[in-house]
Amino acid sequence: MMPKSTDPEVRIFFANTRFEKMARRQGGVPREQALAQAQAKIDKLKSDFSSWLDRELEELNAALTKVESDSSDKSSIERAYRSCSELRDVGAAMGYELVTFIAENLCKIIAAIQTGATYEKDIVDCHIGAFMLARTDRYRHLSLEQVPEMASGLRRVVELASKTSARANK
Amino acid sequence: MKTSTVNLRNLAIVIADPSSYWRRAIYGILRSFGANKVLEVEHSMDLIRILSSQKIDILLCDTQIHPHNWLKLTHMIRRNANNENRTMPILLMSSDTSERIVKSARDAGANMVVAKLMSPNILYDRLCWIAFNPRPFIDTSTYFGPDRRFKIEGYPGGVGRRKGDKVTTVAEEVGPTLAQNDIDSLFKTAAKETNDA
Repeated sequence: MMPKSTDPEVRIFFANTRFEKMARRQGGVPREQALAQAQAKIDKLKSDFSSWLDRELEELNAALTKVESDSSDKSSIERAYRSCSELRDVGAAMGYELVTFIAENLCKIIAAIQTGATYEKDIVDCHIGAFMLARTDRYRHLSLEQVPEMASGLRRVVELASKTSARANK
Repeated sequence: MKTSTVNLRNLAIVIADPSSYWRRAIYGILRSFGANKVLEVEHSMDLIRILSSQKIDILLCDTQIHPHNWLKLTHMIRRNANNENRTMPILLMSSDTSERIVKSARDAGANMVVAKLMSPNILYDRLCWIAFNPRPFIDTSTYFGPDRRFKIEGYPGGVGRRKGDKVTTVAEEVGPTLAQNDIDSLFKTAAKETNDA
């Protein structure tokens, strides 16, 4: 229920923020021009995606290597998860379906490790290998339908990992 | 929404996002919009440090920010009566736009939530909205922030009694993730709708 303005315990006021005052000034970049310039920047970013992907995979690898040597290292697991989520989100934003799918899969595996599942090196390596393939010119723009064996293989790996985790938690 | 031109020149804007990629994207978009004072932070500690030491005009903050949780940060900003940035517009960016997240953001005092994978025109329109459609602030013992009333709450008792009261409609459920239009509807005020009558 909306508090009444006459209630002494409620204050209702207009903040008149500096943002409101200044953003309304004349002289701003015209909307169409602003949007065109912004879109050009986004397009440039897309063309830099490969370099970004390589750097992010390096970071993910570094975090996962630490987790492999110490599966109780919470901060490394957290870093790996964030790195993987970023690959997923940016991959989706940029339209790289394969990268997004692999990242989504690996996120589930890392999330399971966060809740106590065993670090399975083979499963993680399999995903890193898939990333290495997905970043190449030949595979980067492919959809899942175009790589059915890879897609079903990775899905199966996650299913098996989930079952193993569930058994271990019983 | 009005087609207005927003002037971001000399406004201090902070982008708080753990992703270097997104920071770069949003920085580029804001610069294209004419912003010339854009600060980027990766961690919440840097954000807190900036907010404690200078006047910021608007904050664009991702819900993945860490180590402080985004909800805690929003509460911290809004509940600190001594901070000059208390009434600054807070625009949260999230790839998770479940109703739970959006309502939490609204109830913590955020001005708006923008679904990530945002396009430049969505960000532009949201900035215009904040600039040209300001909402009053509500200050109570349990809440400080923009007026939270939204269209689908309707009238007390569920039925408008005045002749000019409009019929309230509830948006159709679109599944666990809200589309941007549905997010926006959670931030619009019922007062504006009834005043238009």
